[in-house]
Amino acid sequence: MTEYRKILKNNIWLENPVIVQILGICSTLAVTNNLRNTFIMTIGVTLVTALSNFTISAMRNLIPRKVRMITQVLVISFYVIMVDIVLRAYVPDVSKALGPYVGLIITNCIIMGRAEAFAQANTPIISFWDGFTAGLGYMFVLVVVAFFRELLGFGTIFGIQVLPSTFSKWTSMVMPPSAFFVLATFLWIVRGMQIREEIKQVSGGEKK
Amino acid sequence: MRFDRDSKVYTVIFTFVSSFLFLVILSGMNVLTAQQVKKNQELFTIRAVLNAMAIVYSTEEEAINIFNSKIKIEEKDSYKLFSTDVNGEVVYAILFNGSGLWGNISGVLAVNSDVSRIVGIDFISQSETPGLGGRIEESWFKDQFRNEALIDDKITVSTTKASDSKDDGQVDAITGATLTSKSIEKIIATYIPIIKRLLGVN
Repeated sequence: MTEYRKILKNNIWLENPVIVQILGICSTLAVTNNLRNTFIMTIGVTLVTALSNFTISAMRNLIPRKVRMITQVLVISFYVIMVDIVLRAYVPDVSKALGPYVGLIITNCIIMGRAEAFAQANTPIISFWDGFTAGLGYMFVLVVVAFFRELLGFGTIFGIQVLPSTFSKWTSMVMPPSAFFVLATFLWIVRGMQIREEIKQVSGGEKK
Repeated sequence: MRFDRDSKVYTVIFTFVSSFLFLVILSGMNVLTAQQVKKNQELFTIRAVLNAMAIVYSTEEEAINIFNSKIKIEEKDSYKLFSTDVNGEVVYAILFNGSGLWGNISGVLAVNSDVSRIVGIDFISQSETPGLGGRIEESWFKDQFRNEALIDDKITVSTTKASDSKDDGQVDAITGATLTSKSIEKIIATYIPIIKRLLGVN
C-alpha cells in the first residue's frame, strides 16, 4: 500500500507532471479560461491516462521494441476516440462545448510520458493507479489556473457570478497570454515551497 | 520455446493484429452510437430553429412536437426554408453556414415576413475558441439580435459599446473575440439577401 501512496504523493506534489516535469503545457494554456471546460478536459485526460496505462502495461510483454511508441500512440488514440464517441452520443452539449479539444487529448505529453516511463515496466493495476494520479496532478494545476483566470477574467466561478458587477473584468485574463503569467506565478510559488522543503530536509539531516 | 519479440515477422504480425483489433472495437462503437448521434444532431437543429424563431419549449419532446406540428419546411434553390406563425405573424428561418475564425459556423437565422427585422439567431455548430469566440452561443449575445432592425440588409457588430436600441441595427461584439463577432456580421450580411431572394421581397 505504501507504494500506492508514494505514487500518489509523487504525481500530485513532488513530481507533478505540470509543475515539475513541465509536461502538458499546451492544453494548460488552451483550456483554462473557463472552469467547466477545464474540468471536463482534465477528467478526459485522467481517464485516458489511467486506461491507456493499464492497457499498455497489460500487453507490455507482447509489444516488440521497434514499434513500442507506435503501439502506445495507438492505444492512447483508441481511448481518446472512445471518450469522444461517448461524449458525442450521451452528453452532446458537453461534446459541443469542448469542440476540437477532445481530439487534442492525444497530443498531451503526460499520457505518453506515463506510458513510456511507468506502464512499460510495471504491472497493470499499479500502472492504472499511476496514470490516474498523474491525471489528478494535472487536474490540480489546471483547476487552480482556471480558477484565477475565470474569476478575474469573467468575475464568475463555474459560470456563477461571484464578484460584484462593478468589478472591471481583466480581459487579458481570458486571452491566451495570461495563462503564461498565471501558470508561471503558480510554478514559482509551488517550486519555491518545494525547494525550501528540500533544503530544510537536507540541513535537518546534517545536524543529526 | 521462447519466441523472439524483435523478429521482423512478429513485429509485422503484432502491428497488424493490434491495429486491427482496436479499429474493430472503435468502428463497432461508432456504428452502435451512430443512431444516437444522428438523433442528437437533429435535436440540435430543431432546438436551434425554435430558439431562433423565439418559440418557447421546456422539454426535448415538446420541442420535437412543436417542430413537427407547427413548422413548415420548404426546399428552395437547395436552401431549407422554415416558416411558421408566431402570434399571427409569419416568421421565416433559414439554415446558414459560414466561416468563423477557426472553422465553420452553422446555425439558424430567423427573420420577419418583410425581412426588416431579425427575429433571432441560434448556432448549431461552431469551433471558435472556447471562452472567447465560443461565447457566441451564450444567450446574452444571441438575445441582442432578437427583433433587431436590419439596416441596409445587415447588422453591425460594434466593438465599442452599442446602444440598447433595437432600431439601430447594432449589437455589441464579444470582448476579445472581435474576429468571430465580425464573422457573424458577415454571415448575416450574406444570408439576408438570400432570404430576400427566396421570399421575393425587396
